[in-house]
Amino acid sequence: MLGESDERGATVGRNWSPGVPASRMKLKEIDRTAMQAWSPAQNHPIYLATGTSAQQLDATFSTSASLEIFELDLSDPSLDMKSCATFSSSHRYHKLIWGPHKMDSKGDVSGVLIAGGENGNIILYDPSKIIAGDKEVVIAQNDKHTGPVRALDVNIFQTNLVASGANESEIYIWDLNNFATPMTPGAKTQPPEDISCIAWNRQVQHILASANPSGRATVWDLRKNEPIIKVSDHSNRMHCSGLAWHPDVATQMVLASEDDRLPVIQMWDLRFASSPLRVLENHARGILAIAWSMADPELLLSCGKDAKILCSNPNTGEVLYELPTNTQWCFDIQWCPRNPAVLSAASFDGRISVYSIMGGSADGLRQKQVDKLSSSFGNLDPFGTGQPLPPLQIPQQTAQHRIVLPLKKPPKWVRRPVGASFSFGGKLVTFASVRTQPQQGAEQQLQQHHVRISQVVTEEEFLSRSAQLQQVVQSQGFVSYCQKKIDASQTEFEKNVWSFLKVNFEDDSRGKYLELLGYRKEDLGKKIASALNKVDGPDVRIKEEKQESEFLPSAGGTFNISISGDIDGLITQALLTGNFESAVDLCLHDNRMADAIILAIAGGQELLAQTQKKYFAKSQSKITRLITAVVMKNWKEIVESCDLKNWREALAAVLTYAKPDEFSALCDLLGTRLESEGDSLLQTQACLCYICAGNVEKLVACWTKAQDGSNPLSLQDLIEKVVILRKAVQLTQAMDTNTVGVLLAEKMSQYANLLAAQGSIAAALAFLPDNTNQPNIVQLRDRLCRAQGNPAPGQQESPKIPYERQQLPKGRPGPVAGHTQMPRVPAQQYYPHVRIAPTVTTWSNKTPTALPSHPPAASPSDTQGENPPPPGFIMHGNVNPNVATAQLPTSPGHMHTQVPPYPQPQRSQNGWNDPPALNRVPKKKKMPENFMPPVPITSPIMNPLGDHQSQMLQQQPSAPVPLSSQASFPQPHLPGGQPFHGIQQPLSQPGMPPSFSKPNIEGAPGAPIGNTMQHVQSLPTEKITKKPIPDEHLILKTTFEDLIQRCLSSATDPQTKRKLDDASKRLEFLYDKLREQTLSPTIISGLHNIARSIETRNYSEGLTIHTHIVSTSNFSETSAFMPVLKVVLTQANKLGV
Amino acid sequence: MGEMVSVINTVDTSHEDMIHDAQMDYYGTRLATCSSDRSVKIFDVRNGGQILIADLRGHEGPVWQVAWAHPMYGNVLASCSYDRKVIIWKEENGTWEKTHEHTGHDSSVNSVCWAPHDYGLILACGSSDGAISLLTYTGLGQWEVKKINNAHTIGCNAVSWAPAVVPGSLIDQPSGQKPNYIKKFASGGCDNLIKLWKEEEDGQWKEEQKLEAHSDWVRDVAWAPSIGLPTSTIASCSQDGRVFIWTCDDASGNAWSPKLLHKFNDVVWHVSWSITANILAVSGGDNKVTLWKESVDGQWVCISDVNKGQGSVSTSVTEGQQNEQ
Repeated sequence: MLGESDERGATVGRNWSPGVPASRMKLKEIDRTAMQAWSPAQNHPIYLATGTSAQQLDATFSTSASLEIFELDLSDPSLDMKSCATFSSSHRYHKLIWGPHKMDSKGDVSGVLIAGGENGNIILYDPSKIIAGDKEVVIAQNDKHTGPVRALDVNIFQTNLVASGANESEIYIWDLNNFATPMTPGAKTQPPEDISCIAWNRQVQHILASANPSGRATVWDLRKNEPIIKVSDHSNRMHCSGLAWHPDVATQMVLASEDDRLPVIQMWDLRFASSPLRVLENHARGILAIAWSMADPELLLSCGKDAKILCSNPNTGEVLYELPTNTQWCFDIQWCPRNPAVLSAASFDGRISVYSIMGGSADGLRQKQVDKLSSSFGNLDPFGTGQPLPPLQIPQQTAQHRIVLPLKKPPKWVRRPVGASFSFGGKLVTFASVRTQPQQGAEQQLQQHHVRISQVVTEEEFLSRSAQLQQVVQSQGFVSYCQKKIDASQTEFEKNVWSFLKVNFEDDSRGKYLELLGYRKEDLGKKIASALNKVDGPDVRIKEEKQESEFLPSAGGTFNISISGDIDGLITQALLTGNFESAVDLCLHDNRMADAIILAIAGGQELLAQTQKKYFAKSQSKITRLITAVVMKNWKEIVESCDLKNWREALAAVLTYAKPDEFSALCDLLGTRLESEGDSLLQTQACLCYICAGNVEKLVACWTKAQDGSNPLSLQDLIEKVVILRKAVQLTQAMDTNTVGVLLAEKMSQYANLLAAQGSIAAALAFLPDNTNQPNIVQLRDRLCRAQGNPAPGQQESPKIPYERQQLPKGRPGPVAGHTQMPRVPAQQYYPHVRIAPTVTTWSNKTPTALPSHPPAASPSDTQGENPPPPGFIMHGNVNPNVATAQLPTSPGHMHTQVPPYPQPQRSQNGWNDPPALNRVPKKKKMPENFMPPVPITSPIMNPLGDHQSQMLQQQPSAPVPLSSQASFPQPHLPGGQPFHGIQQPLSQPGMPPSFSKPNIEGAPGAPIGNTMQHVQSLPTEKITKKPIPDEHLILKTTFEDLIQRCLSSATDPQTKRKLDDASKRLEFLYDKLREQTLSPTIISGLHNIARSIETRNYSEGLTIHTHIVSTSNFSETSAFMPVLKVVLTQANKLGV
Repeated sequence: MGEMVSVINTVDTSHEDMIHDAQMDYYGTRLATCSSDRSVKIFDVRNGGQILIADLRGHEGPVWQVAWAHPMYGNVLASCSYDRKVIIWKEENGTWEKTHEHTGHDSSVNSVCWAPHDYGLILACGSSDGAISLLTYTGLGQWEVKKINNAHTIGCNAVSWAPAVVPGSLIDQPSGQKPNYIKKFASGGCDNLIKLWKEEEDGQWKEEQKLEAHSDWVRDVAWAPSIGLPTSTIASCSQDGRVFIWTCDDASGNAWSPKLLHKFNDVVWHVSWSITANILAVSGGDNKVTLWKESVDGQWVCISDVNKGQGSVSTSVTEGQQNEQ
C-alpha cells in the first residue's frame, strides 16, 4: 500500500552520504542471553536492565550470572548500548521487571528492579545503587515460592503491589513496603500447575489475571479474594506463553499460545467468556512472548518459533509490521515504556536488539554479525580453502538500500490531534479532534473536523490609543489632543515634548516656543519696564510708543552745537567736516560706545561693520558673544560652541533670530550636539530641538535611543509624536514631508504590523506612510490590502504583488518556456524592483486627478467588516486598477514580462499622513482673492523644483514614462472650482506643475520663515467660531493684507519679510477688534482714511493719518496693531510698491 | 479573557478523519488543511466565507503538515505525509496540481517548513527515518536535494527556519548582489533534542548546536519571527509536557538559554508564534489551546484559554454572537 516501488529515481541530484545509512530500524544491540526490563516511563534517561537468563547457557558456557544496566542513548549513532553498571549476581533469572515504586517525578529514585529466580526466590534490587557501583544493591529477598518464579507484574495503580507466580499454582501479592509476608489472591487453583504468566488489569486495580501452560487463564478479584472467572477454549492446545490486558478496555485480554499446533493469539472479552472474541493466526509456529503497547492499543507485539516478530492490531487482527529478524527465535519482547516507538527483543542466539517501529533502513542489521564472524575466524578464509569469502555474499547484504516500511497504520502517538497556528492579521487557526468515544452520536462525530479561525486581540490599550490618534488626525483636533497629552504626562520631559508639539498648531508658534524655553515676552516686557522705571518713571511705555511714532519724521526743537576743544568739541568738528571715521574713533577712545555706534550707522555699512568689530574687540562682558552673534547673525557659532547647559538659550536665540534657510539646520545641529552628549538628560532634550526643526527622522532616532521601543505601548508613545509632528510640518511648512526616512519607515511598518496583528488591518493601512519606496512598507501595504480580501478585480491569476514571481513548473519536470528566472537569487530581481517602482508610484499618487471620480463612498473598503477607515484615511486596496494601469509604464524594459508591474496600491482618497487634501482644508475665515494660499497645502501636489525634486528625478533613470504619461500634474481642483491664486508664476512654465516654480524653502514648525505667520493664521485650529468682520470694514482687511503681500513680493531681505510677516499676524488683533466692533468711530474712520491713502499709494499721507490717530486715541485701544501698521506703511513707502 | 479571542469563522472541512494541520496563507485569506483521510484541502476564507478551492489527492497515508510558500513564488503549498512523501502543489490558471513529489525518505515525513523567501524556494523536511532533507528549487522544474542523515534518532518531528538575518541594512546592499545570508533552522526529534543547523560556505549543512532540556520527544520547535531585535528566540514543546523558550543574545549565536514557560500535564503538540512574536499559542494533548505572553518582568503568563477541553465548548458563546450578526 505504502509506496512499494521506490520512486526516488525521480529526484534530481539526490545526495546520499556514501556509506552512512539514512537511518536504521535497528537501533542497538547487546550480546547477552538475558531477561530484560526497561526503566519505567517516568525515568529519564531510558535504561535497559538485563539479567542472565536461567534457561540459556551463553556462548562461553559459563554459569556465572550478572545484572547489568544499559543506557539508551539515541544521540549516539553506534549500535552499542552504553553500559552503565554490571553487578555480578549469584542468581540467574526467569523474569525481570522494573517498577516505579517510590520513584518521584524528578527521577531521583529510579524505582526497583524485581527479579524472579530459579529457586522460588524473588529479589529486589536498587537500580540506582547498581548504577552507582555499590556492593550492596539488594533491597530485599524472599524465597517463599516453590520452583522458578516465571511470572511477575507490578500494579500500575499501586506501584508497591507486585504479583508473582511460580509452580504449584502459587500466586503471591507482595507489598514492597512490607516485603516479608505476601498475600494470596485466593485459594490455589486445582490441579496444581505452573503459573507462566501474571498480569494486573490496566483499568481496574484490584483485578489480576494468571495463566499457565496448560492453557487456562484465571481472573482474580482481590477484593473478593477469589477467582471470578476462568477463561479456556477447551482445546487443550492453548499453552499460554503470554497474557496481556487491553490497555483501555477493562474486560479484554489476549492470550498467546506456544503450541506449534495452535500458534495463535486469542482475544477474549470477559463479558463473553465462552469463546474468544478474535483469534490472530499470523504466526506459523508457537508464540513465545507478546507485549501490548500502552501508547497505542492497536499495537500488539508477538514473537514466535517461526523466528518472526510481528506487530498486529489485536482489534482487527491485521499485521501492521514485521520486523526483519534473523532466523533466531526471540523468547522475550518488551515495549519501551517511555519511548513508544522503541522495543527490545531477546533472542536465543544471545542477543538483545533494540528496534524502532518507525521503519528505516535495514542496513547494518547484519553488519555487526559479519564483523564478528570475520574477527572470530581471524581472516576471510575460515576453512583454509584458499578461497577467501567474498564479504558481500551474505544474503540481502547487497548494495541496494533496503527499506523497512514503517507500520502500515501510523501509531497513535504521531497523530497530532490538536493545533493552533497564528496567521497574518492576528488570526488564530485552531482545530482539535474530539476524543473518540464509542457511544457518541453521529453529530458529535461531525464536530471533529472543523477548523476555527479566531481573532486575537491582546493589546486593548494600544488599540484604543491608536484609535484616538486616528480620530484626532481625522478631526484635526491637534491642539486639544496635545493638551490632553500634556495634562496626562507623567514626566516633565514628556510634558515638554507635547508642549512643543502643541505649539506647532497654535498662533505665534515662535513666541510660544520661546515661552516654553522660559522666555515669556510679556514677562520680559514687564521686567524691562520695571528696570527702566527706576530711571524714567511710570509712563515709560507710553513715552516709548510716542517716541517711536515720532522717530522717523525729524524731531523738532533745537540743540546746541559745541565746538570746544575737549573730546566733545573734537567730535563736533569731525562731524561738521563729515569725517565720521574720526568721530567714531574719538567716541570709541572716549569709551562712548553708543555714540560711536550711532555715528557709525550714519557713516555707512563699512564703517558700521568696522565699528562693531572694534566694539566687540573692546567689550568683554559675559553676553558679548551673544550680542556678537545677534549683530553678526552668526548663529551657527553659538549653536556649535555654546555650553550645552545653555541649550535652551541657544535654541531660544535660534528661534528668535535664525533665518528661514538656516533655522532647521541650526536646530538639528543643536539636537545632534545634545544627542552626542554623554548626559542622558541632555540626550533626550535633543528631541525638543528636532521637534522645532521638524525633523521627524531624527526625532525617531533620538526617541528610539532613549526609550524601550519593543513593547506596543512605547511604540505607540513614539508614533503619537511622530504623527503629530509630521502633521505639523505638513501644515506649517513648505518642506516636503513626503520623504520617509529608513528609520521612520521601519517604525511605521512596525507600528502597522502591530495594528495588523491585533486585527486592525484598516488602521494599519491608514498609518502606513503612503509616499515611500521603502521595501518593507511597500510589501506590508500589499499584504494588508490583500488581507482585507480585496484582490484587484480580474487579477486573479497575476495578482499584483511586490515580488518578482518565481515560476514553478506544472506537473511534470522539464524545460518550460519562459521560466528563466532562477529562484536562488531572487534578491537580484526582487529588491531593485521595489526600489524603482514605488518611486513612480509616489509620483502618480500625488496626482489628485483621480480623486474626484472616486468619492469615499465608492470605495469597496467601506464594505469591509472590520473598521473601515474614517473618511480622510487612506483607502488602499486596488480599488482603482484602471487608473493605476494608465499611470504606469506599460512595459518597462527592465522588467520580466511575466511579472505584474509592481505593487500599485491605489488609494481612492488621500490619507491623513499624506499632505492634506485640498478639498478638505477647513477655512477659518474667508480668504481674499489674492490671498496667498498656505504653502504647506500646495507642497505635496506641487513639489518645489529644488534639490529634493532633482533627487527624485535622478532616482528614476529607467522610468521616464511616469512623468510624461502623467496628466502633466494638472491643476488641482478646489471644491468650488476655485483655482489657485497667488502662486508665483503660476502658468509661466507650460508643462510644468505650477508648484515647480515655487522656491524651495526649507522649513520647520518653529522656523521664522516667510509665510509662517500667515499659515498659522490659516491653520485649521479649533478656534473657528469667530464672528465675521462687518462688511463695511472688510475693505480694511483686504487693503492691509494686499499691501503686505505686495511688500512681501518686493522685499528682498529676510529681515524685512520677517517684519512683514509679524505685522500681518499682529494685524489680526485689529481684525478681531473689527469683528467685535469695539473700536471707537474715530479710530475706525481714521483707519478707513489710511486705507484710502493706501489705495492711492500715498503712504506718507497714510503715515500722517497714523500719527494723528496714535496721538489722539487711547493707547491701550490701539497699541496692539497701530505700531505694526506703521511698520507696514513705512515699508510700503520705502519699497514703493 | 473572553473577548480576547473570538471565533470569526468556523470552517467545516468535511474531512473524513482527524485533521492534523491547518495553515493560512501569507495574507490570511486562504486556509489549507490536511487530514488522516489522506487529503489536503484549500479554502477561501475571506470575509468569513469558506469556499472549497481544492481537494488535493495524492498522498497514500495521513497527511501531517502543510506549508505555504511565500507568494513571490506564486501559490505554492507543500504537504508531508506518513506515506514518506512530500508533495509540492501549485496553483496554475486557477487549478491546483502536483508540481513535485519528493520520495527521499524512508519513513513518515512529519514536518515541512519553507525557508525565508529571501533565500529562494527551499523546503526543509523532517522525517521519522531520522533524516532531514532540504529541497532547493533550481529552476526548470528541478529540485536539488541535500540530506542530513541521522539528524534525530528514531525521528525528526519538527523543523523551523530562522528568520532571514540581514547583515546590515538591505538598502545598503550593492544592487544586484545577493545579500550574504546565514541560513539556519531548528529541528526537534525523538532523541529529546533540539538541534540547530547552519549552512556552511560550501553549501553543506552542519549541526551548530544541541539544545538539551526536554526529557522526552520534542514535538515541535518554532523559531520566532524577527522583530528587529538582536535576540533570537525559539519555542519548543515536548511529550514531557514542557514548553521552553530558548533565547540567544550573543552575536555568535551559540549561547542559548532555556526558560520554562510551563509544564503541562499532557503532551504538548504544537507551538506557534504570532507574527509580531509576542504571543505564543500552545496546543496540548488535552486538546487545549492556550496563549502566552511574556510579562514585563520576563515571566511567561497565560493570557487566554482559547478552548477548554473539547475545542468547541468555551467559544460557543462567542460563536453564537457571531452568527447572530
